[in-house]
Amino acid sequence: MSKLIALPHTAPFAPEQIAALDQVIGAASVVQRAWLAGFLAGLDAAEGKQPSVPAATGPKPKLLVLYATESGNSEALAAKAKQEAAKLGFAVRVQDVADIDVQSLKDAGTIIAIIATWGDGEPPQRAAPFFRALMGEAAPRLDGVKFAVLALGDSSYAQFCESGRQVDARFEALGATRAAARIDLDLDYEAGAKTWLTTTLETLAPADAGSVIHVDFHKPATEAASKSAPFAAEITAHHKLTSERAESETVHVELSLAGSGITYEPGDAIGLVPENDPALVAAVMREAGLGDDAALRETLTTSYDISTLTAKQLLNYAALTGDAQLAALAEDEAKRTEFLAGRQWTDLLETFPHQLGGAEFTALLRPLAPRYYSVASSQKLVGEEAHLTVARLAYSSAGRARLGVASGMITDRLREGGSAKIFVRPNPHFRLPQSAATPVIMIGAGTGVAPYRGFLQELEATGAGTSAWAIFGHRHFLYDFLYQLEIQDWLKSGVLGRLDLASSRDQPEKRYVQHVLWEQRQELRRRLDDGATLYLCGDAKHMARDVDATLTRILADGRDESAGQAALDALISAGRYKKDVY
Amino acid sequence: MTDKTNETPKLSHNETIKTNSRFLRGTLAEGLGEVASGAISEDDQQLIKFHGIYLQDDRDLRPERAKRKLDKAYSFMARLRVPGGVLSREQYLAMDKLSDDRGNQTLRITTRQSIQFHGVIKTNLRPALRQIDSVLLDTIAACGDVNRNVMCTPNEFAGRAYAQAEQTARDISTHLLPQSGAWREIFINNEKVTEALEAEPIYGATYLPRKFKIAVAVPPQNDVDVFAHDLSYIAIVENGDVVGYNVLIGGGMGATHGDAETFPRVGEVIGFCTKESAVAVAEAVVTTQRDYGNRMNRRRARLKYTIADLGLDFIVREVNARLKVKLEPARDYKFAGNGDRMGWHTSEDGRHHLTLFVENGRVANVGAWQLKAALKQIAETLDVAFILTPNQNIIVAKADDAARAKIEKILADHGVTLRGSVLREAAIACVALPTCALALTDAERYLPSLITKLDALLAEHGLDQQPITVRMTGCPNGCARPYLAEIGFVGRNPGRYNLHLGGNVDGSRLNRLYREDADEETILATLAPLFADYAQTRQNGEGFGDFVIRQGIV
Ligand code: SRM
Ligand SMILES: Cc1cc2nc3c(=O)[nH]c(=O)nc-3n(C[C@H](O)[C@H](O)[C@H](O)COP(=O)(O)OP(=O)(O)OC[C@H]3O[C@@H](n4cnc5c(N)ncnc54)[C@H](O)[C@@H]3O)c2cc1C
Ligand SMILES: Cc1cc2nc3c(=O)[nH]c(=O)nc-3n(C[C@H](O)[C@H](O)[C@H](O)COP(=O)(O)O)c2cc1C
Ligand code: SF4
Repeated sequence: MSKLIALPHTAPFAPEQIAALDQVIGAASVVQRAWLAGFLAGLDAAEGKQPSVPAATGPKPKLLVLYATESGNSEALAAKAKQEAAKLGFAVRVQDVADIDVQSLKDAGTIIAIIATWGDGEPPQRAAPFFRALMGEAAPRLDGVKFAVLALGDSSYAQFCESGRQVDARFEALGATRAAARIDLDLDYEAGAKTWLTTTLETLAPADAGSVIHVDFHKPATEAASKSAPFAAEITAHHKLTSERAESETVHVELSLAGSGITYEPGDAIGLVPENDPALVAAVMREAGLGDDAALRETLTTSYDISTLTAKQLLNYAALTGDAQLAALAEDEAKRTEFLAGRQWTDLLETFPHQLGGAEFTALLRPLAPRYYSVASSQKLVGEEAHLTVARLAYSSAGRARLGVASGMITDRLREGGSAKIFVRPNPHFRLPQSAATPVIMIGAGTGVAPYRGFLQELEATGAGTSAWAIFGHRHFLYDFLYQLEIQDWLKSGVLGRLDLASSRDQPEKRYVQHVLWEQRQELRRRLDDGATLYLCGDAKHMARDVDATLTRILADGRDESAGQAALDALISAGRYKKDVY
Repeated sequence: MTDKTNETPKLSHNETIKTNSRFLRGTLAEGLGEVASGAISEDDQQLIKFHGIYLQDDRDLRPERAKRKLDKAYSFMARLRVPGGVLSREQYLAMDKLSDDRGNQTLRITTRQSIQFHGVIKTNLRPALRQIDSVLLDTIAACGDVNRNVMCTPNEFAGRAYAQAEQTARDISTHLLPQSGAWREIFINNEKVTEALEAEPIYGATYLPRKFKIAVAVPPQNDVDVFAHDLSYIAIVENGDVVGYNVLIGGGMGATHGDAETFPRVGEVIGFCTKESAVAVAEAVVTTQRDYGNRMNRRRARLKYTIADLGLDFIVREVNARLKVKLEPARDYKFAGNGDRMGWHTSEDGRHHLTLFVENGRVANVGAWQLKAALKQIAETLDVAFILTPNQNIIVAKADDAARAKIEKILADHGVTLRGSVLREAAIACVALPTCALALTDAERYLPSLITKLDALLAEHGLDQQPITVRMTGCPNGCARPYLAEIGFVGRNPGRYNLHLGGNVDGSRLNRLYREDADEETILATLAPLFADYAQTRQNGEGFGDFVIRQGIV
């Protein structure tokens, strides 16, 4: 079997070298490849070098990071532990003890437990059931499990770190072996936690895991997904980014590209092939008297746009059904537009019901189009993953509550462990500058910050940056500040040089990104004079319009508007004002 | 909760913070400029208290935050300095608007006759304080290791003696006000005044070891709970005029579960001073505490512990040594009770004053109950003043006959009834969850439903007209002065309270712990038989607190 092999683009070779190697290795037989592997390893050994890129090894060692939290400190530490451990080559799972079955600890492999104490030496409220189960008779034996406990507390309480102590003692009592001594940390826990985690993880880490690069050699890149042949990516993380108190919901989705050969650059978009809401499909089939033919339901769910209603469709439906009343309405321009406003197919079928055949109906419909989502990650940091930031589109029109086809599916129906059909839509016009020296100014509101998360991850990975300036907008600082904790870290580490925020609904007067731009116009001009590249992402209808108007005023700098317009156009044609608005 | 309890003779960290703060500036200005975080640095969190402001986070939201990559839901709580709780209608209106524009749309009347604004996020803090400044109010020293808001029995519009007592309260407040210009510099002008380091004549550069609290009472009311404060004054009134005050020192409520070193304590009368020397006495007691208070361990830094450690005689000698006019022997006084006088009262000048029941001090609009809107309309349309009471109620003061009628109509139109049940009207609860960082469980959000159940119990025994003081706090710090209540609930764990019994009507006796860590079921099951017994065997006019003591129940 000589299957085409593709080295990943990230392999440490020039493109033409990769091509050459692909040819050789691709054509090579199993035996030949085995020999080659041995030969290369032997070669390095002979020259006393560490192989810098060992061949992909077997499954990674399992590590379970448990946390018990009330106010989130333990959880934040758990996340840090995950990053660290992943670097060391563990297959890490992070779990709130509130969501774990004690029995499952049996085969957890290695456990790092980060436990906070509350009340008067009580466990955090949500952790109480876990503690009861763990302390009870029914608790499983943990022979063969390795563990280490990090206890968070406040030494001004009588029972300092009590809950951490209990877990530590109980794990041992159940037969688990202590991999590192428990550490009890006070309110100023950060530094202590960091060193403890690093040392503990290193003692647990498998020999050479650190340098293992996990590459899937079986999926040729030539088959990388496309609109017509999307890749079913597993959803490895799916959670809200906005508070329960937020007026609208935005979710964070992590997709695994493992085995797809898909690669992307920050600034690209991920195309997602949606499916219609089964409930809507059922409703439409009922209204159109289509019975419930499974095959038809399938095509209506996956292949046709059963929401959007166009003038043409209205006319066609009138013609097909010979409905005189509808025809009258459809042919009168004014009446038609009025009817169409905010209405969808289900409204039409409801007000003008007619018995249709499946084929007749689908002939009226448009194909279900993919939706695009700015990729909110950088492969240099997340490897074979793509992250999305998706706002749930919910509104009501013509007296009905509506939900966006794709965003509704993503927020309401997709879950961790499920999958989504995706492909990449490269966007070469929305990339970081070639030179790390070029200052960047990133303007975005709402989900418009998504691509900038990709940019910042890229800057973090490449160690460039610090001159980056972000101007982000949201409704409420407390409820919709997307990726707040990550942005704080980027500011601390200097990946992000400066941040300005506009919260539109936190004070009596509305405040948007263009207001920040105007307040900071001196600084903006200064950076543009220094050759900065300007980025704008997010809502096209309002934000982009207002930002352009403001930029024009700023660039006019006292002169008349056309001067400002000219200056702005100059920036655009010089590729120094990049937009990705929708 | 940054300070640790330890006996090592090392200055508590807060002392270093104060020393290095350049008179309460620290890095507050810089911190307010950091937009990515709603918080400020740990040290600045201690400093900002001196300016009447606390950093808090919404504890209801804690579970969701980190998972969503959101920082804790930080916001600030700001507390007014308003001696005796007296506000003009213009000032009240400004506060009402402020809570809508910059806060959480509610006003919270406190147990020290002040108003707290919750939910003020960083970007709104300066605008909020400027709104306060614009009506000649401030939040200076409403918190921190200084003299706090000075309490005084209302109301100055109801008689000469009250007005004179209120004047004493204001004089003391002004005299003990920190001189640092930091508040105006940081929050109002937002520009550095050239480092003209002011001296703090009374406090010195490190201020007091801990908070310091003063109250002035006009008998027969002890509504300000004179026995609960570091320093209190009991007005001695002769034919309508205040001639002077009995002086009490060493009261305090706060304690820590499982720490015997800490305890609530009732103040003791140490003598009498003329009304002219009242301010001098305040300075003498404050400076004594400044010089002898414990600066190593903040949990034992209040005057009550200085007295416990050095002895009352020593402290009284120190105080007298600092006085030109020495303290005289105390005069007789008599208190009737420590609640507010609810409902309408008419003073000799024929003006009407309504003490309006505000459950747990929360002025808000909830469904058909539109108290906040009602008070707003009253302030907009009628010539009245507002006085915040020591039991979290509000007095609409100095209304003429016409205004009185209008007030009743406006309240009725907004679904506000003047009175609650006897038990409910006297009950108070601290804020606790979700804003209080120290809360172990709910208080303000829970007490109302418990009162309903207790009322039912009392009714069974025909006790529903019997006044009984009930006070609840979400932790042992005692913000609602629970240890002076006939029935006190002190938060221990989520949904669980220590049950204290045996306070007396005039608030001069500490109650005692009767049941630990009781949930609602236990609370009701415990009180039911006691109420039954009380209904049967109480003596004529005997209060519930006195009854449980006489019966040796506690
Ligand atoms: C609002 C108020 C309770 C109320 O429902 O009205 C209150 C609320 C808080 N108190 Fe208090 N105290 C309030 C009156 C009291 C009283 C009663 C009094 O002063 O008459 C006491 C008991 C008397 C005393 O001081 O001993 C009181 C004893 C404490 C203590 C314990 C002090 C001690 O030395 O033991 C703390 C904790 C501390 O200071 O470390 C505290 C701390 C707090 C804080 C600021 C929590 C904190 O430090 O983070 C609470 C803010 C909760 C919130 O979210 O608003 N509060 N606090 C009262 C505001 C009064 C004012 O306007 O200034
Ligand atoms: C390059 C690019 C990048 C993008 N990046 C992101 C991203 O990172 N995150 C993100 O969340 N989205 C992003 N989008 C938008 C996204 O592609 C979808 O358009 C969005 O999710 C809505 O799709 P939907 O299928 O949920 O809604 P649909 O079912 O397609 O409904 C959208 C339609 O509903 C109608 N409609 C919407 N609101 C109303 C209203 N109030 N009243 C009446 N009718 C209304 C309009 O006709 C609108 O076209 C991006 C788009 C592009 C082109
Ligand atoms: C109300 C309250 C009670 C607490 N009780 C204890 C305690 O009894 N013992 C202890 O060691 N720490 C106690 N702490 C401190 C917490 O454990 C500490 O803040 C920890 O960092 C919280 O971690 P988390 O955010 O993961 O819950 C308490 C904190 C608060 C606010
Ligand atoms: S008593 Fe405790 S819980 Fe209540 S407000 Fe005071 S500190 Fe907070």
